[in-house]
Order: sequence, then structure tokens, then C-alpha cells
Amino acid sequence: MDRSYPRSRKLASVVAVAAAATLTLAGCSSSSGGKDAEEGGANASAGKANTPRMTVALVTHQAPGDTFWDIVRKGAEAAAAKDNIKLVYSADPNAGNQANLVQNAIDQKVDGIAITLAKPDALKDVVSKAKAANIPVVGLNSGVSEWQKLGLMQFFGQDETVAGEALGKRLNQAGAKKAVCVIQEQGNIGLTQRCDGVKKTFKGDLQTLNVNGTDMPSVKSTITAKLKQDGGIDYVVALGAPYALTAAQSVGESGSKAKVATFDLNKSLTGAISKGDIEFAVDQQPWLQGYLAIDSLWLYKNNGNYMGGGEQPVLTGPAFVDKTNVETIDKFAAKGTR
Amino acid sequence: MSMTRQAEPAVTTPPAPGPGRQTDGRTSRRSPALRLLARPEVGVLLGALAVLVFFLVTAPPVRDGSSMANILYQSSTIGIMALPVALLMIGGEFDLSAGVAVITSALTASMLSYQLTMNIWVGVIVALAVSLGIGLFNGWLLVKTGLPSFLVTLGTFLILQGVNLAVTKLVTGNVATDDISDMEGFAQAKAIFASSFDIGGVNVKITVVWWLVFAALATWVLLRTKYGNWIFAVGGNKESARAVGVPVTFTKISLFMLVGFGAWFVGMHQLFSFNTVQSGEGVGQELIYIAAAVIGGCLLTGGAGSAIGPVFGAFMFGLVQQGIVYAGWNPDWFKAFLGVMLLGAVLINLWVQRTATRR
Amino acid sequence: MTPENTGTHGAVLTDPAAEPGAPVVELRGAGKSYGNIRALHGVDLKVFANQVTCVLGDNGAGKSTLIKIISGLHQHTEGEFLVDGGAVRFSTPREALDKGIATVYQDLAVVPLMPVWRNFFLGSELTKGPWPLRRLDIERMKQTADEELRNMGIVLDDLEQPIGTLSGGQRQCVAIARAVHFGARVLILDEPTAALGVKQSGVVLKYIAAARDRGLGVIFITHNPHHAYMVGDHFSVLRLGTMELNASRADVSLEELTNHMAGGTELAALKHELSQVRGVDVDELPEAGDLTAPVAPSEGKS
Repeated sequence: MDRSYPRSRKLASVVAVAAAATLTLAGCSSSSGGKDAEEGGANASAGKANTPRMTVALVTHQAPGDTFWDIVRKGAEAAAAKDNIKLVYSADPNAGNQANLVQNAIDQKVDGIAITLAKPDALKDVVSKAKAANIPVVGLNSGVSEWQKLGLMQFFGQDETVAGEALGKRLNQAGAKKAVCVIQEQGNIGLTQRCDGVKKTFKGDLQTLNVNGTDMPSVKSTITAKLKQDGGIDYVVALGAPYALTAAQSVGESGSKAKVATFDLNKSLTGAISKGDIEFAVDQQPWLQGYLAIDSLWLYKNNGNYMGGGEQPVLTGPAFVDKTNVETIDKFAAKGTR
Repeated sequence: MSMTRQAEPAVTTPPAPGPGRQTDGRTSRRSPALRLLARPEVGVLLGALAVLVFFLVTAPPVRDGSSMANILYQSSTIGIMALPVALLMIGGEFDLSAGVAVITSALTASMLSYQLTMNIWVGVIVALAVSLGIGLFNGWLLVKTGLPSFLVTLGTFLILQGVNLAVTKLVTGNVATDDISDMEGFAQAKAIFASSFDIGGVNVKITVVWWLVFAALATWVLLRTKYGNWIFAVGGNKESARAVGVPVTFTKISLFMLVGFGAWFVGMHQLFSFNTVQSGEGVGQELIYIAAAVIGGCLLTGGAGSAIGPVFGAFMFGLVQQGIVYAGWNPDWFKAFLGVMLLGAVLINLWVQRTATRR
Repeated sequence: MTPENTGTHGAVLTDPAAEPGAPVVELRGAGKSYGNIRALHGVDLKVFANQVTCVLGDNGAGKSTLIKIISGLHQHTEGEFLVDGGAVRFSTPREALDKGIATVYQDLAVVPLMPVWRNFFLGSELTKGPWPLRRLDIERMKQTADEELRNMGIVLDDLEQPIGTLSGGQRQCVAIARAVHFGARVLILDEPTAALGVKQSGVVLKYIAAARDRGLGVIFITHNPHHAYMVGDHFSVLRLGTMELNASRADVSLEELTNHMAGGTELAALKHELSQVRGVDVDELPEAGDLTAPVAPSEGKS
């Protein structure tokens, strides 16, 4: 460092202050909670295959920052690590852009492609291009009714509508009369399909409520307002784990008797289920979708296997999580794999 | 600099103190009532009142005290940010990064405390430093480059949006932070940022109190201090302000840091009321803050406005947003209703001002 | 009004020019280059108290650069700049203000949307109370502003009205009154009459005279020789970035000043050429020999 350069001395003093601050902070550690309290459980890894290195592309319609897709991706990564696969992940909620990403994967001459079929028509062309290039394509998550028409090899997952229908039936069992479906992103197809599914099977009255998902305080007060406006609501159906937790707060504040059910899981949600704040969650096992999609491509390449026999989809849900089974799932959810 | 020491001026009009003082006779005084109505914050108040009356009539649940508390809560989370955004706007600048900066602050506090297993307050303080730092960066870049703030903060907006997501993913392995509600200091922090209390059986959120306290403080600063004078001056005419010795650079940068402070406060509220933070949140909120400020009578181009106007602006936003739900209207039309009601309220505001200022 | 109540404003009239008759502000061969563009060079200028020094020049002659150097917005790159006989180099307008040099810019340095009294005290606000409750002393500011304006002969109905609603002449006068109030010893007026009508210009010239009579040294920048000649004690004409004429009132007539302003010396040189062209009337143009006023030694146009 050039001593005549005044900034160097300034830098040194900044470093000194930062170091002093760090030392001071060290005395402020929390004796409860935090990372230290988190379990360092072993990963769900099953050793590593010694098959030749292959490359697989996973292209989804994930919007940035979506918890659900994060778990799908983790499942895919787990399978890739086990199978000696290089996983190329890309996503775009816009169908046209998603198609471009698939084309990109084809251009990279990958050994297999896994895609979600949120808007099947937009992907038709690139799927046939992939087939022409002799790249096996499997589907996951959305598109349970279209995957065969598009000529995909296998399919893993569950349609949003089917999940919704299952939740609707469960509401009937619980004796619900009036429920409200909370949509955190108005106009999102997947979310709309979930609500539509619930509506299809639910015998009571189902209303929908649009909330501003990017602003949690707004979500909270809007749900509170809805419960105030209609005192007859006995179930709040959230379409994502974070929103379910917020809905539970709203229920508490509005003094309503309503219960909360939700789609999807996360770490905090399993805790809320065991505490009884949330009644149940319908889980389509996103981790499994990602895992199986990648694993199936490995099996096909190395052993010529077809999961589901090549004719039937492999359904990953609906799996219900409630007080009876939450304990077994809790520790997996804590690692972000359920 | 006593007057007596100065030479007698050549041209002197003897001062005529008290009533009956000389006027130049070209401007006629308008009545105090009209002058009051001409103030933009009064217009927006009337607009908000009109919307309130409308919902009191059409949505019976709004008449309930606890519903009003809920509306005020929603308004306060917008309003606390709308205040510094309004001051910044009066100072002639925008901050498009204000929405995601809230989340950046909450993420910083949450992840730092959790990952290092520190007392919550460590995270809270560091988050404050980070938020002020973002403001400093915005302001410094603006002053240094002379680029429009729209461009500079659009850049920070995108950067923060990406950083929020990427760093959260990198640190926690998830797209949301871990639950920190069982950590030391949480209860204390929650009491300050996210508690509530009862008034006559109605549960009122502490943010409502903070909102009004900040608004009173901002009003005082704006109208009664040097700094407030400088805010108007740098927004009204930057070059003139510089020429008469107003520290323009300091004023601009500190205004951006004030927005940082607001983002920190709202971020802390979100963290301590929801225990975790989703990294993708906050996008789009900046426009709501700006809208509340503009509805509240702040000039988009700077130089004019108030701190009390944005309070009514934010209230109107919260009221319309919740009122539609209380009224039980078809939710598919939610956004359309929101737009229509806001336009309607703004038009009332405009009409009141036009009527009041007509000579 | 006591000195300790005047906020951060440091300019006071306690130390007028060290010796009577010495210039308050003096430029010696001063110049300014922006990169490789030489906007101003070889300028000598003396400003005395109780005098109006007029700086005339066409657009682009370097008037603005000259003002910017004296007012502290820019720094000179050659020559000397002295205040009270001591060399200075201002880095901000604030430093110039502290030396008692106040500038009234062409745009008047007012914020149109702000009330008159806030504009009057902008940048030098009066405050009261201890920190953190230090606040504007609004009563005193309004009262002082009103008094000062009345002393300059300006009467406003309402000090709360935005200054943008005043007429151009009124605004100019407010700006001058402000500078005078804040203890300016040297007042720089940048084209104060340029955008005004005849009557309004007259009003402003009256205030220039008033300011001079209060003991200020006034630098009156203009391109109107008639306005300059009505109030000026000393005249300097700038051309192409350097001083073309430097004369006191006794040495120069209005006609001559007008000729210099109209590009007299150049036109005289051109007269011969122009006389060959049909349709150009050259009879009224002065001969070079008619321009008797002392012409500033030119450094040569580089």
C-alpha cells in the first residue's frame, strides 16, 4: 500500500472499526434459536453412481423467488448428484420464453430434458424438435392431461386441478360450509386452477379473494377484512405456505372461528400444523417431482426403463399433511425437501 | 449586520406598521376558507372522506371500530414509507428501489441474526446500516453522475431484487428466511416494531402510532426547520439553492438515506410480525408509495407538497383496498375497482383545488 | 437585529476595505480555461465601495465566466483574484458570501414555488431554540424580510405568496434586498434588466443606485450601454474573452460606449471594406480614431 495515498489510511481505519465491531458483536450471540439450534441432519443422498457423466436440462415455468419451485429444484439436484448428472436449470413464467429455454437446451445437445407443461401449446414445437434431435423429454408438475399428446416419454406430478379437487373433498369431510380461496397473484394460471379444483368438489360455498402477494401486511389486513365482512366463513384456503401462515394470523386477529388449510409445505408450516394453527396442507411432493424426473432420464439412458410403464403418469400427490403425520414430515420440511 | 450601521438608502418608503398598511393593489386577498381549500392536502382529505362515506354506506362492516383499525394498519404500512418518499419527491427525486429495499432490510436482519446465532438486535442494527447505506449509495451516485434519479434507482431496484433472491438462496438454501421467533431479543423488537394495543376493545397496531408520530415529525421538519426549507429549495430550483448556499448534495443524499430509514422500519415491522421474509416480496410497492405521495399533493417534479398529504394519500389507498373487500364485491374486478376509486378520489381533489383557486 | 442572531451568515460590515480608496475586489490578469477552451484571459478589474462598475459585453464575451469566478462558482486558472488586497480562490459560493460578495443571478437564484420570506432567507435561515429543537424563527424572518423590502421601497401584500407570482422587477428587487440585507459589500448583478420592460428596468436601476448609496460596490453586468451609463461609475467592455475597454465615467461618453458595445472597433476596421458594398450605410459608423477612450492593453487573441 502506498503510504502517501491518504485513502489507504482511511481504509485501514475502516477495517479496524469493522474488526472492533465484529468483536463487539461476538458478545451478542443469541442463546436460543438461530442456526446453531438447527439440526445438521444428513442429506437424503444414496451414494453416487459411476455411470458416464451426462447432462440434463430442467426447464420450468417458475417465477423468481417461488418457494414451491425451489423445492422441485432441490429434488432435481439431489437426483443429479446421485446419478452423476450435470443439471442445467432454467425457468421463465412466460411460455414463449420457456420455449426458448428448451430450444437453448436442445442447442446445447443435452442428454435429456425435463419440462413443465403449464401452457402445452406453446411448447409443442420445441418438444418435437427435441424428439427429432433424439433427446428424451419427460414432463413434470403441470400437464398431466397433455403429456401424452405432446409425445413426452413419462410424466411425474399432479395437476393443480386434481390437487384442488382433493382439497375440496377434504373440506367436505371436515364439514366446512363456506370457504374463501386466497389468490396471492391475480391471473396466475396455476393458482386459479387450484381454486377451480376446490370449487369443483367442494359442496359448500367457495369465494375467492385476491391479495397483493408482494406485500405481506396487505395480505394480512385483506384477509382480516374478508373475515370481518363475512362472518360465516369457516375455512380459509391459502395457495402457498407463507400465505397460510399469514392467514392464520388474520384469523386470530379478526376473532373469526375459521380454520386454515393450504397447498404446499415449508419449514414453518409444519410447525404451525403441529401447533394446530393450520388444519392441514395438501402436498404434491414437489421434491419428488424434481427427483423422479431427473432420475427417470438416468434410468432410461442407463437401463432403458420407463417409469409408469410409459403409459400412465406417475402421481406424486395429493398427499395430505395434518396433525396425524406431521411429525414424520417435519424434519424433512426443515431441510427444505418437503 | 445591524441596519443602523448602513447608510440611509436613497429610495425609502417609510414602513407603515399595523393595519392599513400599504399594498400594491394588484392582488386581492382570497377568503381564508378558499385558501385552505386550495391546499393540496385538504383536497386529498376531502377525497378520502368522500371515499370513506361511500364505503360507510355501501359496506356495513366498515362501520365497525376494528375494521377501521385494520384499514389504518394497512394504511400505516404504506404510509410510513410514503412519508420519506414524499419528502424525497418534494426534494425533486424518485426512489424506485424503495419497495425492494424494505425486503432487503428485513432479509439482512433475519439472516444475519439467524446464521450467526446472534441477538436479534445485532441484525436490526446492521440492517439499519445497510438500509442507510443503500440510500447513501443512491444519493451519492445521483449527485456524482448527475443522472436522473429514475435511472439510478431503477438500477438499484433491479440489483436489490436480484441480490435479495440470490443471497437468500445462497445463505439459507431456500427462497425465504428461517423463523427467528424463538431467538433472543425477538420479543423486545416485536414490541417496538409489530405489537398492538387495545383502545376501547379495538385492537390497534403500533405501526399506526409510529405512522402518525413520523408524520408529525416530518411536518415539523418540513415547515419549521432549516432542513425543511432546503428540501423545498433543492426540489424547486437546485441551481438557485446552490447559489444561495444551500448544501444541495447533503440535502439530496440525506433524503435518500431517510427513505432508507423508512425501508428499515417497515422491513423490521414485516420481519417481526411474520417471523420470516419471502425474498421475492416488495416488488411494485415503490409505485404505491409514490402514488400515495402524489395523491397526497406532492408535486411529481418536486418543490411542493406536504407531509400530511401523503398520510391522507396512504389512508385512501388502505381504505379503498380494504373497502372493496368489506363491500364484498366480485374479487375479479378488484384491481379495476382500486383504479376507479383512486382516480375518482384524485379527481375530487383536483376539482376542489380548481374551484378554490379560481379567481 | 443583532449580529449573533444572523445564523451561519458570517458577512458583516465591521471591516470595510482596509484603506479607503483601495479596491474591495480586484482581478489582475485573471483568466479561465475550460480544458483547451480559453473562455477568459487577461482581465483586470477593480471594484470600489460606493461605486457601480459596469461590465458590458456581447453574448459569449465572457461575462458569465467572469461572474462565476468572482462569485465562487468557478475558479480562475490564470492571473490573480484579490479581495481586500489578499489573494483568494473560492471553492464554493458560500466562501464568496462569507467575504461579502453576493451575486444576484439572471435567474435570480430564487425558488419560484417558495414564499417570498423563505426565499429571502434561503440558505441563511434564522433559527431559535437548542438542538434538536432548533427551528426557524418564522416571526423574525417575516418581519425582517418585510422591513428590508420596505427599506428598499418594495411593498408586498403578502410575504407568504410564492415568489414566482411576483413580477420580474419585483423579484429582482427582492433578490437585491436580500443581498443587501446579508451584508454584501460587493453586489454582482447579472443582467438584471435583460428580461424587463422599460419601466421595470427603471425601478431596478433605482435599486442599484440605492445599493451603491448604502456603500456597496456594485458589479453591474449588462449588454445595454444606456442602462449602464445611467448608473455606472466605471465601465469595462469584454470582447471575446478579454478586456477591450476599461474606463471611468469621465473618460468615456455614452456614444462611445455604445459604439464599443456594438462592436465599434471591429466595425471601424470593417468600415472600409463595407463601404465598397452597395447598400451598406457606413456613414454613421465611427472611425477608429474617434474611439479615444483608453483601450485595455490586449494580450493578443490566442
